[in-house]
Amino acid sequence: MPRRKPGTLLPLEAEILETALSLLRSGYATFHGFGLAQTMREQSGSRSLTAHGTLYKALSRLEEFGLLTSRWEDAAAVEGRPRRRLYELTSRGVQVAETAVADKASARPRRLASEPA
Amino acid sequence: MRPERMAGLVARWVRFYTRDLPAPIAQRRADEIDADLHDHIAHDRAAGIGERRIALGIASRLVRGLAADAAWRSRQARAGVGNPLSRSVIRVALGVALVLSLPLIGMLVSDDVVWGPGDFVAAGVLLATIGVALELAARRAGNLAAAIGIAALGVAAALVGAADDAPGLVLLGILLIVSACALGVRTAHRSR
Repeated sequence: MPRRKPGTLLPLEAEILETALSLLRSGYATFHGFGLAQTMREQSGSRSLTAHGTLYKALSRLEEFGLLTSRWEDAAAVEGRPRRRLYELTSRGVQVAETAVADKASARPRRLASEPA
Repeated sequence: MRPERMAGLVARWVRFYTRDLPAPIAQRRADEIDADLHDHIAHDRAAGIGERRIALGIASRLVRGLAADAAWRSRQARAGVGNPLSRSVIRVALGVALVLSLPLIGMLVSDDVVWGPGDFVAAGVLLATIGVALELAARRAGNLAAAIGIAALGVAAALVGAADDAPGLVLLGILLIVSACALGVRTAHRSR
C-alpha cells in the first residue's frame, strides 16, 4: 500500500475523484460503490474490480477530506434490493479532481486543493 | 460455490471486523458492502458470467481488501471509541485501588493485618506493573501464550507464598491465575 505524503492524494483516491468527475460530466452527479468500481475497471481496462476494503476505505478518507459527501438512497428507489450509499463530489472535490486530471497529464503528485504543494 | 454463499462469507467477515465498533459505523459498512455484493452479482449474471467466476471475483475482492479492512477498523476504533490508552490506565488504577482496599479494610477490622505506607507503595507498584502487562497482553487477540505465561507466574507466586507463609504473595498468585483465566476465555471468545 503506497504511503501518503502530506497534502497529496493516494493514486486510488485520485482515480476515484477523476472517475467521479467524468461521471459528473456525463450527467451522473451521484454514484455508488459498485458502480464506481465498475466504471473504474472499464476506464482503466483492468480485469478485476477494486477490492471492497480498498474501495470503501478510500471513499471514507475522501469524505473525511471534504471532497465527497454521501447519503443513503431513497427507500422508494430501492425496489427489493439493498439500499445503496450514494456519493457526490463537493465543490472542493470538483476542484481537486480537476487538479488531479491536470496533474496526471503532467505526471505531478496529486495535491489537495487548499493545501500547499 | 454459489455467489450468494461467497457473499455470505464476505458479510461474516464484515461483521467480524466491525465488531465492537459504534453501531452506526458498523451498520453503514455492512449495509454498503451488502448493496455492493448484490449489485456485483446482479451485474455479472446479467453479463452472462458463470456462477463460479462470479464467486471467485467476490472472493478476490475480499482477499485483496483484507489489509485495508484491518487498517480501516484500526482507524475507526481509535477515532470512535475514545482513547484506549486512557481507558487502560483507568482500568489498571481501579484494579490497583480495589486490591489495595482489601488490606486497608483488613487493618480497620483486625489487628492481625498491619501494613505500613511502604507496603502499600510496594504492592501498588507491583499490582500496577501486573495490570499494565495484562492490558498489553489483552490487546493482542489470540495471545494464548500470554495467558499461559501469566498463569504460570501466578502458580509460582502462590507456591512460593505458601512455602514462605506469605499470604499476600498467595493472594497475588491467585489474582494472576484468575486474570490469566479471564484472558484465556476472552482470547477463545475472540477467536470463534
